[in-house]
Amino acid sequence: MDLQSKANSIRREIIRFKTDTGNGHLASSLSIVDVLVSLYYDENTWFNHYEDQIVWGKAHGGPAVYPILSDLGYFPHSELEKYCRPNGILRLHPDASIPGCNFVGGSLGNGIGYAAGLAFASPNKRFIVILGDAELYEGSVWESLILINHFELKNLLIIVDRNGLGILGATEELLKLEPLDAKFKSFGFNVVVQDGHDYEKLEKVFETPPSTPTVFIAETIKSKGVHFMEGKAMYHTIIPRDAAVVEQMMDELK
Amino acid sequence: MKAQRDEFIEYLFNQAKLDPDIIFISVDMGAPALDQWREELPNQFVAAGISEQNAINFAAGLAAAGKKPFVYMMACWVARCFEQIRYSCAMPKNPVTIIGNGVGLGYAPAGPAHEPTEDLCYMRAIEGIEIVSPSSSEQVRFIAESSLKAPTLRYVRLERSVSERLAERVGGDLISGVDQLHLIKGRSDRRLTILSSGYLLNRAIDAAENISKESGWSIQILDVWKIKPLDLDVLYKKIKDSELLITLEEQARDGSFGAAILEATSDLNLLIPTLRLSLSSAFAFENGTRDELLDHYGLSKGEIESKILEAIGERSKND
Repeated sequence: MDLQSKANSIRREIIRFKTDTGNGHLASSLSIVDVLVSLYYDENTWFNHYEDQIVWGKAHGGPAVYPILSDLGYFPHSELEKYCRPNGILRLHPDASIPGCNFVGGSLGNGIGYAAGLAFASPNKRFIVILGDAELYEGSVWESLILINHFELKNLLIIVDRNGLGILGATEELLKLEPLDAKFKSFGFNVVVQDGHDYEKLEKVFETPPSTPTVFIAETIKSKGVHFMEGKAMYHTIIPRDAAVVEQMMDELK
Repeated sequence: MKAQRDEFIEYLFNQAKLDPDIIFISVDMGAPALDQWREELPNQFVAAGISEQNAINFAAGLAAAGKKPFVYMMACWVARCFEQIRYSCAMPKNPVTIIGNGVGLGYAPAGPAHEPTEDLCYMRAIEGIEIVSPSSSEQVRFIAESSLKAPTLRYVRLERSVSERLAERVGGDLISGVDQLHLIKGRSDRRLTILSSGYLLNRAIDAAENISKESGWSIQILDVWKIKPLDLDVLYKKIKDSELLITLEEQARDGSFGAAILEATSDLNLLIPTLRLSLSSAFAFENGTRDELLDHYGLSKGEIESKILEAIGERSKND
């Protein structure tokens, strides 16, 4: 499968339903697309969406998974057009009412502890929790890391979407998170840092399920795929809706 | 006399030996009854450390995967994980039992940080949660049993200490959670009802005798130990003939038990004058034992009596 063109088509769909309504967080959804494409579509990665579960910590980026789930048959494609509309099932934050989704979305710092409970209760199943980097400011994340390490919950992979931006700007300028890998290592984790947009590298990261508690820091670009938005903090909450601009965004991803 | 936490945990421990899905999560809180559990069932015990937020999220995940989690913490700290209870437990309907030990001023003289005096207010706001506040051993056992037989999101408010006369009574109403604890027949046929639960029931009983003697009114004391959901049908039957209601609680005034009763009577269209007796401050900074602090913060036996007698006087003025 040509993963890049798959990712392009997914990004186009995300842009379509986000710009139609103007609801949600387009930039945060775009940064995680390639990680999802690698997990869901690359046959050489271990994730099996029929059995393994993804819990969204940064659920505001969760709508990135909607085009994928619709493509895989979890719900009709027409639901994408009804995103955030009264007769649609897709919400701004994914929750368990949506086929293929788990948990409730929208409150940062809680998904990881919840996923730890799932992983503890079901040692023979695999779980992934996707955190935003700015979510790491939540103290509860670090409470959970202590527990996950103690119980060696290797069936829970922690992915950090390290796009470097919070709402107000760059994390390193606002309130330093680095050295992030050293922080996770000091909590007892195996840490993998890799380009979150490079399929070959992602394939290596996801080649085999982790055998020890692992954090994957996916180095990403916020708004990835739309050049004028890329890496700009202001687009966390702004979704361009001007028809000409939207078409320009779509063209870029052809 | 056994502490409520030990009764609860002992019952649970015996069940846990037969049911590996029962998992006890302690937020660095011990109990004599827990020592044996930790030794015999280490795989069903999780020391979560002092991390209430993580403990609740973790428990919610366990519940979502079909386990039966119990999170044990000091009652004052449920405020700290309100968001996690609301978000990870209530929204996805995960049946987690939260055991909060030391309600009201039970941790005196530890000071207001350790004394939850608004927990009824904020926990009552959570949709779908059951809130129980036992004072007898029978109630504690019933709640522990229910937590396994009828799992739901449940906040169990345990007392650090109660008197023997409260702890040892049996035969109360376990189904509705609105139990007639006491009825003093007065000289007249006028009746008032004092509604309370937990530790303060003692003061209600002590005050009722004098109040009835002085006023001639009959006094019913209701132990409303299931505070949410309130059984409105039973409550209606038990208070409809009262012409005065007194709510008595070891909580700050706003939004707590008295407010719950006012909401209930409003919903029932029972417009009975209601006197709310609560702590005069949410923050009991004075030094003292629990009883001394109750005396200091507006709930001495004398003050309870005089305020109720005053309310009776007001009622009688209108005759």
